[in-house]
Amino acid sequence: MKKALALTVAAAMALSLAACGGSSSSTAASSTAESTASSAAESTASAETTGSDINAAVFYYAYSDTYISSVRTALDADLTAAGITYTDYDGNSNQTTQNEQIDTALASGANLLIVNLVTSGSSDAASAICEKAANANVPVIFFNRAVEEDGNEGAILNKYSNIAFVGTDAPEAGHMQGKMIGNYLLENYDSVDLNGDGVIQYAMFKGDAANVEAIYRTQYGVEDCDAVLTAAGKPALEYFDSANSDKFQCDLQGNWSAQAALEYMQTNLSQFNEGNGNMIELIICNNDNMAEGCISALNAAGYNDGTGKTIPVFGVDATDSAKELIAAGKMTGTIKQDAQGMADCISALASNVASGKDLLADTDSYTKDTANNLNNKIYIAYQEYAG
Amino acid sequence: MNALANMKQNMAEFKTLDAKDKKSRVADLLLNNAIYILLVIFVIYTATQNKNFLTVNSLVNIVSLAASSLPIALGIGGCIVLTGTDLSAGRVVGLTAAISAAMLQAVDWGKRMFPNLPNFSNPPGIVLTILVVIIVGGLVGVVNGFFVAKFSLHPFIVTLATQLIVYGLILEFYMLNGNNGQPLSGLSETFKNFVTGAMFRIPTGNGQSVAVPWYVLYAVILTAIMWFIWNKTTFGKNMFAVGSNPEAANVSGVNVFKTTVMVHTLAGCMYGLEGFIESARIQSNTATTGLNYECDAIAACVIGGVSFVGGTGKISGIVLGVFLLRIIFVALNMLSISQNLQYVIKGLIILIACSIDMRKYLVKK
Repeated sequence: MKKALALTVAAAMALSLAACGGSSSSTAASSTAESTASSAAESTASAETTGSDINAAVFYYAYSDTYISSVRTALDADLTAAGITYTDYDGNSNQTTQNEQIDTALASGANLLIVNLVTSGSSDAASAICEKAANANVPVIFFNRAVEEDGNEGAILNKYSNIAFVGTDAPEAGHMQGKMIGNYLLENYDSVDLNGDGVIQYAMFKGDAANVEAIYRTQYGVEDCDAVLTAAGKPALEYFDSANSDKFQCDLQGNWSAQAALEYMQTNLSQFNEGNGNMIELIICNNDNMAEGCISALNAAGYNDGTGKTIPVFGVDATDSAKELIAAGKMTGTIKQDAQGMADCISALASNVASGKDLLADTDSYTKDTANNLNNKIYIAYQEYAG
Repeated sequence: MNALANMKQNMAEFKTLDAKDKKSRVADLLLNNAIYILLVIFVIYTATQNKNFLTVNSLVNIVSLAASSLPIALGIGGCIVLTGTDLSAGRVVGLTAAISAAMLQAVDWGKRMFPNLPNFSNPPGIVLTILVVIIVGGLVGVVNGFFVAKFSLHPFIVTLATQLIVYGLILEFYMLNGNNGQPLSGLSETFKNFVTGAMFRIPTGNGQSVAVPWYVLYAVILTAIMWFIWNKTTFGKNMFAVGSNPEAANVSGVNVFKTTVMVHTLAGCMYGLEGFIESARIQSNTATTGLNYECDAIAACVIGGVSFVGGTGKISGIVLGVFLLRIIFVALNMLSISQNLQYVIKGLIILIACSIDMRKYLVKK
């Protein structure tokens, strides 16, 4: 009797799991999984396969990432529309996991790799993947996260053939955010300068200690803003806590999370507030999630409720919720990272492979890394977003 | 009154000892309370370095930070008393936070996850949401407890499995209805006010005041309830009995299976409530919400003297442990010490606390 009960419970759990897996995105994945199995034998031969023979494997660094989720949704739709079978993999923020997934995918007959590298900006990690792909004679499309160190351009993209990179110019978001903040401040200087000391005290929230995008955004978000301010004869920004020589607070888990920003900001506000005459007057965040965390802390202290006093908060990504906050007057601006544009470009490259053309055929309309003469490094532009 | 009499008796006993014994007794006392002595030294040092550390503003901040992580620690404490652990805690918080957010998004929010959901942003709706998160958390707890008790699996294994399962569910949940993994925010004002709104304000001079949020009260209520359960109910006594020796408990007529399942279920319910509070506190919930919360919660319990040996632990210890971790976080920030050191210091404190704990146990043996 007891055994029967145990069995029933186990069966119920298995069933509920299967039921939960029934959403649209995973149906696509599971159907391709079947076709992966069936086409495994014939498609390992070469990369010059045509049309329906293409069997793409898409590796995301982490399903939990907000922006990457937008890319995934857009890319799933694009690839389906292009008639390319694909399988999605979640690297779960672990490069080793991703490498193992790539091995598995190649072994099961994938003939196009679309890779969102976990270790951003590591040519070693990228080169390991390129070697695997070259051995199997399979083209690779890297996207979103950089494959080379800064100053080491071409180490990967020039070395291997049949690979491409679709991403953003990592420093661009920082530059753009800095300029946007600078221009905003010039227009609203006196209202932002709460304590009237003529200098804007800012707080900076960094998403990840080691990520190049986070590093650039942290650096240029302030530097470019300072450039705009000093050009107009205003003093440069000043970090709110003179004792903190880093001049930023960082999500130590590297998750760019709202929670980390919230807890820092709440703690900052206990020391730095209008009562003490040293209120933080400007908040710059590496992404919109952290911006939302800061806004939550500000809300609790009676700021940024859309009507009363508002501390300008800037982010990057232009997530749907950030757009809503900007529309409601609770957030000031963000930099849009174009998920659809990135997905469209990746899908176009994949279609090139599928139709037997060169990987980079018909891509001249895209912005490329001309500074380093890299024809296979495609940039999707950022855009300012202020509602 | 009792404590005072106890102290007097101890004092009298202490006076009868010879010099050598006196010395070792004092040393024992110092060692057994080393963690609190260190804490006091740390607080005094921070206060001398940064005058803001002991202001009303800062104290309210520490209290509210501690309150926000209390429910999960109170829940996980029970699992540790059973010599177990619960790795699924953080993910359950993430799932229930997502559910709370989805249910209580403002009706006029443009990106409502379930646009057809009725407006729950009223007292009955909030009660319903709390019930839902308690049930969802409790269900995971039942599964944990069932497999631990039924198949004598170590909770580490069982909860590792449920952690993964729940994470999968979280990822699926965020993809639902065209949400595409976007953060769940735009929570209704009613919900935010219910959790993070000002319960009362403490004036800090200059016409300024600092708000104490409602969730501090909820943490106090939950602490009181858990204290009652642990100390005043048969279930609580059974939990400690099973924790110290399941065979003995079984022979004495305690239903070990039922107790284990109930402890895990209760823990799950607490994670659900934590998720409810976190959802409103963070306001922007993503799939990483709740990640690694169990680590801090377990650390807080262990620092507070809830022993992995099983069968020992106090609610007051858990509260102290939670406060200690939060004080370290705030103090290191206020001292502007490199944030990387937080890990080192946390690690050292856990190590010291556990060593002292085990030392007591070894001496007893």
